[in-house]
Amino acid sequence: MSKSVHLDQRYLIGLVNNDAQIINEIYKKCAGKVKSFITFNNGSTNDAEDIFQEALVDVYHQAKFKNLQLTCPFEPFLLLVCKRKWLNQLKKKSTIQVTNSEDDLLHIGEDTFEQAEELEKQKEQSVMFLNAFEKLGERCKEIIRWSMQGEAQEKVAEALGVTYGYLRKKKSECMASLVKMVSVNN
Amino acid sequence: MMIEDKILLTARYAEGDLNELEQAEFEQRLQHDTELKQHLTDYNHIHESLKMQLAAKEDEELFRATLGGLNKEYFVQEPKIVAFKPYLKWLSAVAAVLVIGLLLWAPWNVNLYEQYAGNNQMLVAERGAAQETNLDKAAAFYNEKKYDEAKGILAELNSKEPSNVMVSYYYAQTLIETNSLAKAREILQNIFNGESVFKYDAAYAIAMSYLKENQKVDCKFWLQKIPSGTTNYKKATDLIQKL
Repeated sequence: MSKSVHLDQRYLIGLVNNDAQIINEIYKKCAGKVKSFITFNNGSTNDAEDIFQEALVDVYHQAKFKNLQLTCPFEPFLLLVCKRKWLNQLKKKSTIQVTNSEDDLLHIGEDTFEQAEELEKQKEQSVMFLNAFEKLGERCKEIIRWSMQGEAQEKVAEALGVTYGYLRKKKSECMASLVKMVSVNN
Repeated sequence: MMIEDKILLTARYAEGDLNELEQAEFEQRLQHDTELKQHLTDYNHIHESLKMQLAAKEDEELFRATLGGLNKEYFVQEPKIVAFKPYLKWLSAVAAVLVIGLLLWAPWNVNLYEQYAGNNQMLVAERGAAQETNLDKAAAFYNEKKYDEAKGILAELNSKEPSNVMVSYYYAQTLIETNSLAKAREILQNIFNGESVFKYDAAYAIAMSYLKENQKVDCKFWLQKIPSGTTNYKKATDLIQKL
């Protein structure tokens, strides 16, 4: 990963920090475009609103928890994420022919495609991991869920009524089972 | 070492469950054991992804609230524009034509004419003579609204006796009824210029001739010449109002 981080990384930082001014800037730049794309392709204003919000939440998640580093400009990236989301939704709904969006994507760089694809892949994977998590035993789920809340692990142990040592041992085992489950599925 | 052990080992390393010695050994192996390195990368990836799903949602709720506020601002539902269906367009065009046609035809003006000019009776002065005169015949036709027949007789009488204002007046009336309006107005204008009892009846008749053509301005112009106290004054003021 030698690619340098794009200056637009500031937008991701703004999202993570819930910086109203930067988020407003994002809306100003992109909301109208997403709205026209979706309403032009068999969608309503409500659909556009949902897709736009979902895309921003995905980016927020990736930036916050997975340290997403933007190597391409933010605007085309977000627009592409929204487009792909909408096209996927249409595909699920039916086989409605979507107005060809290739032309206006021609000038978008490789990086943008890669990052949008990566975001989508990460989202899918996180859903898959969550499904695997749900298959774990109750005790494992409880331990993992508590330990993921962002509190210090000592405090988590205290809340669960176990020693810190036991928590570490148990969590390692539970996570190992989950990882194995996921690799078998893959 | 079996794969399963490596996964558990990686988990224990990541969770800080290894003692100092084991930890150092693990880090040593990471230098050359690409498989182990991959396990660690995968573990971190899965851990982060899961944390993304399970972590406390307070921050996210605040973030979503920000989005919610902006959504209201930027995704305003535009009022739906209902397209005029093609047949509706035609329908409105037809309606417009009907309205224009109605305005040109103006049946209510005909009604006004009927209302204000109709039922005009030709009253011939009583005379003792038993024999019916041409004037009587004309009056009979006139009162039966047989204006063509009345006109024939009155035209003859008028040419014989041009100074008889009564004959001229009723002759002009038959001309109006048979749509010889210009000629009627010429005769009536003469009567109006004179000082007979038919002076203001003539003015009213001229007004009626214009009403028949729906020339409201001229009609009003003549109606306004009718002074109060004369027979047609009330009808004239009424009609001015309606025009």
